[in-house]
Amino acid sequence: MSDPSISRPRRWDKPFSLEVGSEGEMTDEIVDSLLQSPPFSQINPEGFKKSLPLREIMKNDSRIVGYDDGDIIVRRGDWGNSAFFVLSGTVRVDLERKQTSLPDEILGRRVSKVKTFFESIAQLWKNNKHPEVREIASVGNKPTFNTRISHGKTRIYLQEVSAVLDKYRTAKLETGHWFGELAALGRTSRVATVFSEGVSQLLEIRWQGIRDILRHDRNGSLKQYIEDVFRERALAAFLRTDPLFHDCEPELLQRIVDQVEFHSYGNYDSHKPFKELIKDGDNNTDAGEPVIIQEGDYPNGIVMIRSGLARISKRHYNGRRTVGYLSPGQIFGLDEIQAELESLTPVASRTRLSAIGHLNAVLVPTPLVEEILLDKESPQNIQSNKIPDTVRTADSHTVKLNDDILLSQLVDHHYVQGTSLMVINLDRCTRCDDCVRACASAHDNNPRFVRHGPILNQYMIPNACLHCVDPICMIECPTAAIQRDLDHGDIVINEQTCIGCAQCASNCPFDAIRMVDIRDSKGEIIVDSKSHVPLTQATKCDLCIDQKSGPACERACPHDALFRVDMHDASKVEEVFSP
Amino acid sequence: MRNLLFQQRFTVAAFAILSLLMIAGYSLFSITLSKTSFASGTMLLICIFILASYQLRKTFSFLSIGSTSAWLQFHIFIGLFSCLLFALHIKFRIPNGFFETLLFFSYLTVFLSGVIGWFLSRSVPYRLSSRGEEVIFERIPIHRRNILDKVESLVFDNQDSAASKAIPDFYQKHLQAFFAGPSNLMRHILHSERHRHHLSQKITAMKPFLNEQEQITMQQIVELIQQKDDLDYQYALQALLKLWLFVHVPLTYSLILFALFHTIAVCAFASTSG
Repeated sequence: MSDPSISRPRRWDKPFSLEVGSEGEMTDEIVDSLLQSPPFSQINPEGFKKSLPLREIMKNDSRIVGYDDGDIIVRRGDWGNSAFFVLSGTVRVDLERKQTSLPDEILGRRVSKVKTFFESIAQLWKNNKHPEVREIASVGNKPTFNTRISHGKTRIYLQEVSAVLDKYRTAKLETGHWFGELAALGRTSRVATVFSEGVSQLLEIRWQGIRDILRHDRNGSLKQYIEDVFRERALAAFLRTDPLFHDCEPELLQRIVDQVEFHSYGNYDSHKPFKELIKDGDNNTDAGEPVIIQEGDYPNGIVMIRSGLARISKRHYNGRRTVGYLSPGQIFGLDEIQAELESLTPVASRTRLSAIGHLNAVLVPTPLVEEILLDKESPQNIQSNKIPDTVRTADSHTVKLNDDILLSQLVDHHYVQGTSLMVINLDRCTRCDDCVRACASAHDNNPRFVRHGPILNQYMIPNACLHCVDPICMIECPTAAIQRDLDHGDIVINEQTCIGCAQCASNCPFDAIRMVDIRDSKGEIIVDSKSHVPLTQATKCDLCIDQKSGPACERACPHDALFRVDMHDASKVEEVFSP
Repeated sequence: MRNLLFQQRFTVAAFAILSLLMIAGYSLFSITLSKTSFASGTMLLICIFILASYQLRKTFSFLSIGSTSAWLQFHIFIGLFSCLLFALHIKFRIPNGFFETLLFFSYLTVFLSGVIGWFLSRSVPYRLSSRGEEVIFERIPIHRRNILDKVESLVFDNQDSAASKAIPDFYQKHLQAFFAGPSNLMRHILHSERHRHHLSQKITAMKPFLNEQEQITMQQIVELIQQKDDLDYQYALQALLKLWLFVHVPLTYSLILFALFHTIAVCAFASTSG
C-alpha cells in the first residue's frame, strides 16, 4: 500500500490576480510595465531575497481591478486587507463623517435600530420558543442596497454618482495616488468610503505584498510614501488624543509631526501566533516579545502606541514580572524624561517595554518632549493648573494592578484586547444565571454566552465576545458580515449577509463566536435548496446593541458580580480587579 | 469598591434616619388618638407590593428601569423598613386570632427567608469559589454520572478471575451509596469534613490487604472520591442558594393574598374610632 502524497502547498499557488474580481492574470508584460513606471521604478530590487523577488511579489500579490461608475471600492468601517493604487480614471473619497456621510443603507451596512419601549416589552411574548429562528425572507434574499455583477464580482454601487457628488463632500484621487494603505498595514478599519467616478482601473496589493516590499526595499520609497501619508493626514490628530499634546502650540506640534520616528515590532503575518499564545497561556512568558525599551536603558524619547499592545515588565529575581500594559494611544517613557528634566542627569528606564504580537509605535524625541514639559511649567500654565493635569493624566493611562500575577495572566491570555470584557466576580456571583436569562430575553430566547470560562483568582472570564481592539475575527470575513458598528464601535454580525463560512468563529481565539443551525418560525432547520445541507450562521454577543438599556447581562446581575470592562480604561480595570 | 462602601454607609444612614422619623411620626400620630393601625397597615401593604415588584424587574431585564442590583438594594432596604413597620403595626405582640396568627407567621417566614437569603448570597459565593471546579448546577448530574462510570470501570472492569475481590467488596460496602447520588449535603452546608475523614480512615485500614495493582486502583478511586465530594459540595451550596428562593417567592404571593384579605376584612368590620 502506498502513502498518499501531495506537493506541499506554497504561498503563491493561487496568485491574487486569479481571484474573483480581477481583470485578468498578471502577465510578465504587465508586471514589467508596472516596474518601469513610478512609484515601482523607485523601488530597489537588489534588497529582495532570491526566494522573494520584487517581480514575483508584484506578479502574485497584486492584481488589476476595474470599477464602473459608482462602484464602491472600500466602505468606511470595513476591515482593510489591501491597498490600492490608481492606474487610470478617478476615484472619490467620501470626506463626510457621521450623519452627513453616505447613508449606511446604500452602503449595505447594518443599520442598528434600537427597540422602542413597546417593542422591548413585546419581547416577553414575541420571542420564539425555538432556537435560532430567522425569517426565511431575510436569509439569502436580495438586499436593499444596489448590487450588480461588475467585472465578474458582485459589487455594491451608487445609483447616481452625480447626485452623490452634489450632496456629499468628496475628494478626488487621480492616477498615481495610493489609498487604503494605512488601514491595511495598521490593522484598523477603513476610515472613509471610496467609490469610482466613471470607469477606473486600480492596482490592488494584498497587505502581505506591501509588507514584503516595505521589508526589503532598500530605497524605502514606498515606506517613505506611507509614512509621509500618515504624517500628513493623521499624525497630528493621533498625537492630540494624548493629553500631553492637547495644549501644544501649533508651531511646536508641527515640529513634532515632522520629527517623530515610526517603528514596527513583532510578527504581522497572521493571527496564528496570537492563537497559539493563548492556547499555551499558562506557560507563557514575555520571552519571545521584541523589546522596545530595555530596563536600564536611557530612552531617547517617549513611545506612543499606534496599534497593538505592549507589556511593561520589571526584573524579579531570575525572571520578569508584568507591572502594566499599554494599548493604542498610550505612552511610555514620560516619567524618565520628567525625572531627567528635574535632576538634569539622564535617568534610566526602571521597566522594560516589549511588544505583544505586532505593534506600531511612534517615537517622539526627548528634546521635543522636554520642550512641551517646560512649556507646561511656564508661570502662566502653573497659574492655570495645567501641569499636574497633563502629567497625571498621561501617567494614569497606564493600566496597573496591585496583583502582578493577575495582571500577568490578563496580558498572557490577551484579555487586555477587550474593549468590553465580561468579568464575573465569583465571590459575589450566586450562580443564579439571571445574566444568561436576561441575555436570552434580549436575543429572541438565544443566550449569546454561557456562564463558563477560565478563572483567574476569583474572576471568571466567560466565553463571551470581548469586542477586541484588534478584532482578528473580522480579517477574513468574505462578505464583511462581521463588522464594527459605526456608532459604538462594537463588533456585530449582520444576519442578512452572513454566509456561514465560519471564518470568524475559527479565527476567534476566545471561542466567543458560535456557528448555529438556523430555523424557521416553526422550528424547522433551514436547508440549502440545492445541497440540502443545513444553513448555519455565526452568532455572538452584540452588547444588546438593539436594546435601549445596553448589555442586559450587566444590568440583570442583582449582586454587582458581572462587569463589562474596557481593558484600556485604567481606572475601570483597577476598580474591577481590586480585591 | 470605594463606591460600594459609600453606598452601604449611605443606605445604613438613610435607614436609621427614616426609621427614627417613622417612630417619631407614629408616636405623634398616636397622641392624636387617630387610627395608627390603619396608617401603619396601609404603609405595610404598600411596602409588600413594592417588595414583590422586584420579581417583576427581573422579568423586564431589558428595560431601562435601573439595574437589578440597585433594585435589590432597594428591596432589602424596604424589607428591613417593613419589619419595623410590621412591629409597630402589631404593637410588638403576637396576634391572637387564627387568621391574624397565620398572617403573622407568613410575614415572619417571608422576612426571615429574605434575611437568610441575603446572608446566603453574601457568604456562599466565597465558599463556592474556594473548592472544586466551577460547574453549572444543571450539569452536575452529568458530571456525577461520568465519575460513577469511571469508578465502576475501575472497580469491575479490571477484575481478574483469580484476584481478590477486596476492591469490589469495599466499593459495595462503603462507596456505592456515596457515588450513586448526591451525599453528605448537610455536612457540606455545615462545612464539616467528617465523612471524608471516616472514608479516608477506612481506605487506610484497607490498604495493607491490597496487592500492588490494587493499591494503584485504590489511589485512582481516592482521586475520584475527592472529585465526587467536591461536586457534592458545589451541589449542596448551589442548591441552597436556589432553595431559599423557593420558600421566599411563593410565600410572598401567599402573604399578598392574606394581607389583601386582612385589609378587606379590617375595612369592612373596623369601627370608625381609633
